[in-house]
Amino acid sequence: MDSKKHDEKIRYADLEIGTIVSKQSYLLDRESVQKYILAVEDSTNSTVAESSNIAPPMSIAALSLRGVVNDLNIPGGTLHIGQELSFLKTVPVGMYLECEAVLSSNSVRGDFRFMVVDLSVEDDVKEHVMKGKSTIMLPVDISD
Amino acid sequence: MKEGDSITEVVKEITSEQVLLYAKASGDFNPIHVDAKFAEGSQFGRNIAHGMMVAASISESMSLTFGASWHASGKVKIRFRSPAYPGDTVTASGQIKKILPLDEGTEIRCSVSVTNQAGEAIISGTSSVIITG
Repeated sequence: MDSKKHDEKIRYADLEIGTIVSKQSYLLDRESVQKYILAVEDSTNSTVAESSNIAPPMSIAALSLRGVVNDLNIPGGTLHIGQELSFLKTVPVGMYLECEAVLSSNSVRGDFRFMVVDLSVEDDVKEHVMKGKSTIMLPVDISD
Repeated sequence: MKEGDSITEVVKEITSEQVLLYAKASGDFNPIHVDAKFAEGSQFGRNIAHGMMVAASISESMSLTFGASWHASGKVKIRFRSPAYPGDTVTASGQIKKILPLDEGTEIRCSVSVTNQAGEAIISGTSSVIITG
């Protein structure tokens, strides 16, 4: 799992609906999956991931969010307030995945900017393995 | 399996070490999670765990209950209601609310939540899975 990091400041108010905010390809290698399993102490590891070489579905979600965090240069103080995920296909370890994130909502309520990002992940035969929707909340004073 | 049944409960202790491991695994180094000084000045007053790290316990619970079907057809819709802090013990649980026959199998819809040691809801939402065969 490797992703380009951005240091430039983004004016979130200028981001239009439909903007592709992140598009990254990743190799879902065993080391990355093991790191994920260790971090969340996933007890299904021995029953599913190791024996069948299948990655935990939430590790795919974490991967897709990685691009959003890096490419949107999410500022400190941002809160993740909602998440929808649909897992569409089992994903074996070693698969190349293409993750895309598209801005679907961008609004201000009070002192906070609310952004909704639609996530999609395709495998190496261009089939969707996961779709999702992340809602994040950024303080307006640091996001605009 | 019938409506009203509970799904497998998953209990986790949140530690600072795990939060750091999750930051490394996910690439999310938001200082609210990993920088004690930054977090002190936040509305929470201390570091909080990544929401998706805590939400992983819901996925684990669904996977333990429904096996590989969860990986191929699982859906979850959750709201992060309040943070989990290092030192918290969190419990993911849920209940089967509806069992619906479909052409391709059976859809099982559940309510899911994660609570802390005080019983406060940290995450709440719904999940579903399609069982075939």
